Amino acid sequence: MTGARLHPFTLLAIAGTLPAFAWILPTPVGGAWTAGIALALAASRGLRAGLWPALLTAAPFWLFLLLLHDVPTTIAIGLRITTMVASFVWLVAALEPARLVEAMVAAGRSASVAYLLAATLSAVPVLKTRAQRIVEAQRCRGLSPRGGIAARLRALRALALPLILSALHEVDERALALETRGLVPGIRRTPLAPPPDPVLERAARWALLLACLAALVRRLIVPSPT
Amino acid sequence: MIPALRLEGVSFSYGTVPVLANVSFSIASGERVALLGRNGAGKSTLVRLIAGLQWPDQGIVWVGDWDTRDCVPEQLAWRVATVFQHADQQLFATSVRDDVSFGPRALGVGEREVQRRTESALEDVDLTAHADQHPYDLPPGLRKLAALAGALALEPALLVLDEPTIGLDRALRARVTRALLERSAASVALLVITHDLTFAAETLDRGLVLDRGTLACDEPLPSLLGDATRLEPLGLAPPPVAALSTALDLPGRPVREAEAARELARVARGRLAP
Amino acid sequence: MKSLTLDHASFWYPATASPALRDVSLEVGPGEVVALVGALGAGASTLLLVAGDLAPRVTGGRLEGAVARRDRSGIVLPTPWTQVSGMAFTVWDEVAFGPANLGWPAHEISRQVDRALERLELVPLASRDPTTLSGGELQRVIIAAILAMDPGLVLFDEPAAELDAEGARTLWRLIRVLAKEGKGILLATSALDALPEVADRVVWLEQGAVRAVGTPDVLAEAAACEAGLGTSVATVWRDSELPEPAPLTIIDAVRRWR
Repeated sequence: MTGARLHPFTLLAIAGTLPAFAWILPTPVGGAWTAGIALALAASRGLRAGLWPALLTAAPFWLFLLLLHDVPTTIAIGLRITTMVASFVWLVAALEPARLVEAMVAAGRSASVAYLLAATLSAVPVLKTRAQRIVEAQRCRGLSPRGGIAARLRALRALALPLILSALHEVDERALALETRGLVPGIRRTPLAPPPDPVLERAARWALLLACLAALVRRLIVPSPT
Repeated sequence: MIPALRLEGVSFSYGTVPVLANVSFSIASGERVALLGRNGAGKSTLVRLIAGLQWPDQGIVWVGDWDTRDCVPEQLAWRVATVFQHADQQLFATSVRDDVSFGPRALGVGEREVQRRTESALEDVDLTAHADQHPYDLPPGLRKLAALAGALALEPALLVLDEPTIGLDRALRARVTRALLERSAASVALLVITHDLTFAAETLDRGLVLDRGTLACDEPLPSLLGDATRLEPLGLAPPPVAALSTALDLPGRPVREAEAARELARVARGRLAP
Repeated sequence: MKSLTLDHASFWYPATASPALRDVSLEVGPGEVVALVGALGAGASTLLLVAGDLAPRVTGGRLEGAVARRDRSGIVLPTPWTQVSGMAFTVWDEVAFGPANLGWPAHEISRQVDRALERLELVPLASRDPTTLSGGELQRVIIAAILAMDPGLVLFDEPAAELDAEGARTLWRLIRVLAKEGKGILLATSALDALPEVADRVVWLEQGAVRAVGTPDVLAEAAACEAGLGTSVATVWRDSELPEPAPLTIIDAVRRWR
């Protein structure tokens, strides 16, 4: 599984530059390469945790594009969107929020900002667990996940609404609760276990960013047929 | 008569961690049973097995004459209504009434029947006045009652509740007691997980105690609640009224407030009489 | 100086006409355990938020009157699953989250965390993943996490709600120990029968205002019993119409009975 022990900033760099490359590099070859890499990364986290959610999330976009554009444009934009989606899915699965906070704090960034970023990323597994619990509770009230369109729409409403409502309701409580755990602006948080950041990784990050910038400059200056 | 619930030699593990070992008991209609035990003794897992969310590794869970392994949870909803802990997080409709009616509607009973069941359930927990409010506008205690009403509206043969009184004050706990006693009088079987032994004493009459996954006790609640030497090794303690009865040696060792008060008055009068 | 002083404090939540707290004055001294009792919605939770400087600072709303604290406060909310950081791999890390945020040196963090884990009997769970814990275990972890920040004023909102009998007993004992260490404790709870042994003073809140203040004997008085806020022993005694005053605890009842 990739990403398990890479420095969190490296994970962010990869997840950030892949979509950038998808948009900068000439289509469709550039897009195909980046989408392929992104999907491979997502798949490396497992079929259920990585590849399937990536494909499932990207699919509606492809359909939408097909309705609006001709095939070449659809492919061009679709590959870029797939890269973005797959990169994000991989990032959420690979990045451990605690390590991100530790990394940001060790780098001198504010703990509150780090926490906000980390909390956004960790929201997905929390919501997944809660969604599962809601599914179970609704099934125990007679909700069947099978059936015709009307039944399935009703089922979706019975699942999505409590999830969203309780999550929203909890955002307030959560913001309050986190204040109670000492996140006061202006205090430098003590790093407990900063992730190791080997020179090689740091160099690789810079290389990625520079390559991205170079590609962008080349794209802007050198006129291309696309 | 077929019992409302019967467990035969049920064992279950989460992966390699054993949670339940050879649990057997049965509950008849109208019986009111408390499921007690320390945190981690396996009570919530047992509830999941009864609701059909998980199948036992060994043994059988019979809901009426249905083997849970032949059913899916939405089918079992015809016979057993389960209210999980934190059920107040599962409310979703725009009004309490809509949420309560969700269950019977999902079962497919006719619209008139849905309305009858909904109104009856709301009345049982005294929520009719709040029925048109948005669930999240209610304080958490009343939301818990709304979740309970949702289960009552299913009109099941067996009601399974996981900690129904956490976060409720005395008045609301009394409402829950009343609603459950009424249902039990109508032959509904009750299985209630609770830490609140005072609530158990007022509402239930039989006690099942789980200890590290095995059934350590299955007996009438009043005698169990008064017996500190039995309760302590199981991580429990006699509730105050039961402890008072024992300390004052009240005849019959009542465990309910009203009965204890009566006995106390009677004995006091007896002392005064020449 | 008192750990906490509220002087004619009134509080309105945002966009609400009626106050959640009405002219509340109360003090908590160092080493004192003050319990808040009342019906659901009486304002105990709000009072704790005001005492902990979370209302109106984080919740919004309007505060009138004065609130003074001598030291740092820590609050244990009734919903441990919202208070958990969501970012700790182990229980140890979870408890260390607060102290780390406060910027303490690593050895001090270790000391506080180890001590807190011991006090809540969590040492066997120290390397467990917090997401695998039961409600009661998580509640104890959060209590440890707040105590690890070494607050001088500790605010508890229904801390025993998720705990079983043994867990609750450990908690009440711990609260007395904290008081002996000089901390001020303000505790909202519906576990009335535990209060005679835990609380030094009881404050009865009704619709945001203080209805009565006194020793736990308040819970044996007629008014409290009628409002459903008497101890079980006192309630039973009154229901049987035995002569005043009603005993507060079983030991009192046995003495009266003889």
